[in-house]
Amino acid sequence: MENNLYHLNAEQVASGIKNRDFSAVEYISQILERIEKIDVKINAFVTVDNEGAIEKARSLDKRIQHGESIGGLGGVAIGVKDNICTKNLKTTCASRMLEEYIPPYDATVIKKLKENDAIIVGKLNLDEFAMGSTTEFSRFGPTRNPWNINYVAGGSSGGSAASVAALECAISLGSDTGGSVRCPASFCSVVGLKPTYGCVSRYGLISYSNSLEQIGTVGRTVTDVMLIMNAIAGEDANDQTTRTTVPGTKTTSRGQTPKYSLQNKRNIRVGLVKELVEGADPLISKCIHSAMDLLVGSDCKCEETSLKSVQYALASYYTIAMAEATSNLSRYDNIRYGFDSNPEEYEWNTYFTKVRSNFGEEVKRRIIIGSYVLSAGYYGKYYLRAQKAREMIKREIKSLFEKYDVLISPTMPILPFKFGEKIDDPLKMYQIDIDTVVANLAGIPAISIPVGFNDGLPIGLQIMANQMGEQTLFDVASSFESTIDIHGSPKI
Amino acid sequence: MVSKDEIKHLGWLSRLELTDKDLDRYVSQIDEIIRYFDKLDTVSLVGNEPASSMKKVSELRKDDIHMFEGDPLEFFKNRKDGFVKGPKMV
Amino acid sequence: MEIKIGLELHCQLTGLQSKLFCPCRCDYRGMSPNTNICPICSGLPGTLPLLNQRAVDYAGMISIALGCKIPSAVVFYRKNYFYPDLPKNFQITQYNAYGFTSIGVEGKVDYGVKSSTIKRVQLEEDPGRLVYGNSNLDTLIDYNRAGVSLVEIVTEPDFSEPKDVRIFLNKIISIIEHLGVCDTRLDGSVRCDANVSLEGGNRVEIKNVGSFRDVKKALRYEITRQKTMSVRDIEIKSETRHWDDARSITKQSRKKEEEEDYRYFPEPDIPTIVLGDDYISSLKTKMPELPHERKTRFLRVYGLSDHVAQVLIDNKELADFFESTVKIYPSSPNEIANLIISDLLGLIDDSKKEQRSIFSGLRIDAKHIAELVRMIDQNVINRNIAKMILSQITKTGEMPSYALDKMNASVIDSKDVISETIESIFKSETSAVKDAKQNPNAANFLLGKVMQLTGGRADPKIALKLIKIKLAVLE
Repeated sequence: MENNLYHLNAEQVASGIKNRDFSAVEYISQILERIEKIDVKINAFVTVDNEGAIEKARSLDKRIQHGESIGGLGGVAIGVKDNICTKNLKTTCASRMLEEYIPPYDATVIKKLKENDAIIVGKLNLDEFAMGSTTEFSRFGPTRNPWNINYVAGGSSGGSAASVAALECAISLGSDTGGSVRCPASFCSVVGLKPTYGCVSRYGLISYSNSLEQIGTVGRTVTDVMLIMNAIAGEDANDQTTRTTVPGTKTTSRGQTPKYSLQNKRNIRVGLVKELVEGADPLISKCIHSAMDLLVGSDCKCEETSLKSVQYALASYYTIAMAEATSNLSRYDNIRYGFDSNPEEYEWNTYFTKVRSNFGEEVKRRIIIGSYVLSAGYYGKYYLRAQKAREMIKREIKSLFEKYDVLISPTMPILPFKFGEKIDDPLKMYQIDIDTVVANLAGIPAISIPVGFNDGLPIGLQIMANQMGEQTLFDVASSFESTIDIHGSPKI
Repeated sequence: MVSKDEIKHLGWLSRLELTDKDLDRYVSQIDEIIRYFDKLDTVSLVGNEPASSMKKVSELRKDDIHMFEGDPLEFFKNRKDGFVKGPKMV
Repeated sequence: MEIKIGLELHCQLTGLQSKLFCPCRCDYRGMSPNTNICPICSGLPGTLPLLNQRAVDYAGMISIALGCKIPSAVVFYRKNYFYPDLPKNFQITQYNAYGFTSIGVEGKVDYGVKSSTIKRVQLEEDPGRLVYGNSNLDTLIDYNRAGVSLVEIVTEPDFSEPKDVRIFLNKIISIIEHLGVCDTRLDGSVRCDANVSLEGGNRVEIKNVGSFRDVKKALRYEITRQKTMSVRDIEIKSETRHWDDARSITKQSRKKEEEEDYRYFPEPDIPTIVLGDDYISSLKTKMPELPHERKTRFLRVYGLSDHVAQVLIDNKELADFFESTVKIYPSSPNEIANLIISDLLGLIDDSKKEQRSIFSGLRIDAKHIAELVRMIDQNVINRNIAKMILSQITKTGEMPSYALDKMNASVIDSKDVISETIESIFKSETSAVKDAKQNPNAANFLLGKVMQLTGGRADPKIALKLIKIKLAVLE
């Protein structure tokens, strides 16, 4: 029996357990030990469910012994971002406003993971209510980058990426509203996917910005990320914004779960978005260009292309996101759920304003700005125009995909940075999302894969495909992944 | 220029308690961010794109009753005789 | 002084099974607090609204019935404000400021000779209910009602008298009842707010009006209040006032509604709902018969008079009762209608008018009336006797023929009944009457006829006396 089963990626764990190379209990025990040992250094987990995980592992082993068939993710250790509802397991959004909240229901993705026999080992750290790009805005302290603990892990799904990079779990779920899965995946040198809008159910994802966000998946390989997608993607009756087809296109399979597999993609046409490459740190641009030199060949053509409307992307993104956020966060009034406090004798409005002062700084800022852009005098100036800009970006992206199979750019315009560097300048912080927000605005799928290092700090390559183009994305990303061939884990 | 009064009013609309110190801090940050949003001024309001999410009436939820399995009172932390207890109205 | 009144009605779609955005029961009445809820309607984090298909159908039918234009696609909006009965601290509703996307706009409803323009019809969710126990300490909240489907109907301010409002409301109720989308007799199923202004002055909104009867009272009060202020040159403020039923006054609302900026924006969790001509046509064919259509049919098929038809359709229950009766006995629709309107209606206890059924407490149904009219047609009884029988059987529930038999077995001592019998005999036995005038003893023959006709039940002493009186009068 090996005692570093935690090195295995999801595909290997699933087959290992199925083939009885090792038991689920052995594997999960090692995972939990690993978490116990190193999470103090990186703070990826908010809650670790030791008992629940071992119990699941035990029951899975029993079923295997009885010759029963098990799900495709049987025994695989998975971490879940703490803004996704897990029944009977505390879900806090890293906020005091949900400090004691225990959901009475499972998110659809959780239900599906359980059906596939994946084992949830715990809940992962995030920026409060998913608002941030570094996980510095968490009530539970920041998550540290496993490659260098003085540096941020990215955000808002910092815990999701760091835990996978640090071998604390094989795969994880995060959420991506403006880059929140891809950014930490890039900073932590793992693979992170934001699916097409409507591809994965948001039922149970605690809303920050409903028209922009999707639950995303993180793994150490493209194959692993694809495996989770096979488990969780699909139309859901509990989320009326899910679909399997794109509006305006021919109806294919309605109501079915898409099934992805790796296919050899030939004649890949790549468009390199010049505004995003030029806008990045030169070290990063250089890395991207070098990677493309490796990748270009008979089967893959790359050419520079332009996305002019990207100039509006950040303003459009933040206007819409904050507007939706201000409304989504109104329900947190500490009456039905929240933290311990007796409302008696308080007058209603006084109580509300008092308890809601327990939101963090960044959240409060976004709530205020959100109200501003929606207010009577400003709706036409900001919100309406932001939606128009969004439509413009969608149109331009659509036309680009007539020429190219995928579009690429750096995932982040800068290298991972040290704690505290941007935290006092909100606008500077927002601007690091420039590469990632486009995919959320257009509703297209995007994946980040490791592409290199600079001075020990990870760099990520972002690949984007057309709506419902996850299969193309997996094919191209997997092909690039094997060519670029980055492997190894941080030494923790 | 976003004013302190505007932020105070927005704070009230959003039921957020903001001290004077908070207001001072927020005013310049928020003003800077809103000024950045002014980029959108050059976006034309003309033209209509189809909505990203569209459904026909027949694709919506059927009008069937399906009660929550479990005790709904478990949803709430402040209870009194089956009601949710909240602060008093004026 | 010109008075302008506009109305805002909220009608619960009690005809649905489930709520607007979740599959909880629509009918919450009588349930213990917080037992008719789920994560969605209690506003738990992570939940999403699931729009009810049939709610859209019903709202569409209401729009069509009110003569509205229907958009090609329908969008929902969030109305953001904080209140204890709002589980999400926003209400999912509809809004037309940025384009026509609510379920109906620009309709028209005729009532009598006048008509009112319907500004808009929209679909939205009902909030929960507040209970003020020890109001110095806390507020108690029950979410059973939260999320129930409401249709809001807003009129232009084109009413000038409270009595017109009442007529209009009755018309709306009749339409809604005929559509079958709402049982208007259920407590709280239809609520009406109003706004009142004088001669281009400021608008005052009146909320919290309990029943439709109160609407007229509240309007009268408010108009008087405004007129009084106007006469004294006091400015009428634009504000919201609450109707205080106990004191029969409108009073200033404590909630500063005019300061709220609702920050409306489209609800991102609900897709744009595409309607289209096919859908609207299918709704039209699915729709039950509307009151004015039914009236036309009554005139054509049953040959009723305009007035009679109108009375019947003004109350769906009456119209339904009429048609059930005609189904059993199709030969005399006019007779049936008249019996219902002249006699049966008179037996209805006025206090029962606002209850579940106007026939509450009357122990008869269509088959009783059908038999009664058949008996009249067959000359078994005349209308007066029918009226008597009716008044009896509504208490006992007996079939008219049974009641008649019972009556026939007992002595008839009613002067009216006997006189009537005598009347009809005098008409038919003209020669005998002539004889009796000459010869008083021949009156016995007439008496014999009376006894025959009343099955031997008439009181002979009274009968003879009346015959003699009648003979004496005759010349």
